[in-house]
Amino acid sequence: MAETTDQLELHDVVMIGAGPTSLAAAVYTTREDIETVLYEKGVIGGLAAVTDWIDNYPGFVDGIEGLKLAEQFQGQAERFGAQIRFGEVMNITDKGSRKLLETTDGTISAKAILIATGSDYKKLGIPGEVEYYGRGVHYCATCDGAFYRDKKLVVVGGGNSAVQEAIFLTRYTTHIDLLVRSTLRASEILQHDLDKMVESGKITVHLNTTTDEILANEGGVNKIIGTRDGERIEFDTDGIFIFVGLKPNTDFLHGSVELDEIGLIKTDTELQTNIPGVFAAGDVRSGATMQIASAVGEGATAALSIRKYLEELERSEV
Amino acid sequence: MAKSVTIYTRTTCASCSMVKKFLDLKQQPYEVVNLDEQPATVTDQVVAKSGARTVPVIFVTREDDTEDITIGWNPGKLAQAIA
Repeated sequence: MAETTDQLELHDVVMIGAGPTSLAAAVYTTREDIETVLYEKGVIGGLAAVTDWIDNYPGFVDGIEGLKLAEQFQGQAERFGAQIRFGEVMNITDKGSRKLLETTDGTISAKAILIATGSDYKKLGIPGEVEYYGRGVHYCATCDGAFYRDKKLVVVGGGNSAVQEAIFLTRYTTHIDLLVRSTLRASEILQHDLDKMVESGKITVHLNTTTDEILANEGGVNKIIGTRDGERIEFDTDGIFIFVGLKPNTDFLHGSVELDEIGLIKTDTELQTNIPGVFAAGDVRSGATMQIASAVGEGATAALSIRKYLEELERSEV
Repeated sequence: MAKSVTIYTRTTCASCSMVKKFLDLKQQPYEVVNLDEQPATVTDQVVAKSGARTVPVIFVTREDDTEDITIGWNPGKLAQAIA
């Protein structure tokens, strides 16, 4: 690094990720005149923004589209002065009262950092998944479902996301094969809705069925190979949507912050990591409940802890 | 700055909003075609030309009339395409 720490662009707080957690935290910090910059490499609003419908976020009697909720979060944070930048943070370094962030805009510094990078959908890691991404292999039903009007689909997964998105996709498709590695883990309410789709013949559920390979011809994905009870099964399809859980976005930390055994960031009760001045909240935090409502709550808690940290830092520097 | 940029989107596409914000930031003019408001033949044409069954799909025509297609929200590739 050619520049000294003093020469770098300095911010009160840099938030990594611009999902519900950071956007909520930014409302609190900016209202207290704490200068706040958010870095987002993906989509503002995170996974909430690509969820078709959100029924369990308080304050919306009839539910709300994920994208609209994300836009509301963003608009509120920006109204108070939060700066959202497109870019990626590749590494952070602790220099005591200053933290360095290596970003796609160059190296910047901050007095405090909030890591709220959330999670991304896991990949299956099977042949054909990377090769046919966007060309028959998908992870976002609201984005890509409409390309499958009057076509057949395979959906993979047995949790809330897989069941909810499979039900969403029935508005386009003629039929969906839902491949579940073991048993359904979705909530009772979603399973009840799924039962209705099964009864109407829109969805067929295949339990204890692994997804092994994605095949395609010139027209795109046309067959999924699976296994049940040791026997090979083939599913004719026009595409596949994969929802097999979440992977925390912590690779960029390169071990600089303490993680738990599954890669989530460990914090204390004030959401501070093992590095003073570096906080973590939302889906990326060990112990998080992976709900938008709790992510927003953690954002508010983190903001109050950051304020306290900055006040103590200012007193120590006088 | 590219000669022309066309973004094919859908109403519920969060990544499409990111592309529009990015191009606004770069002061690159663009045209938006919402596939949800077009006949199915337009979708078929986009799929045939790009090979992609996803949005956003961004067609860029450079000053020398060469074309570039960016699929999905990929700011690094998009920045190169419009440079």
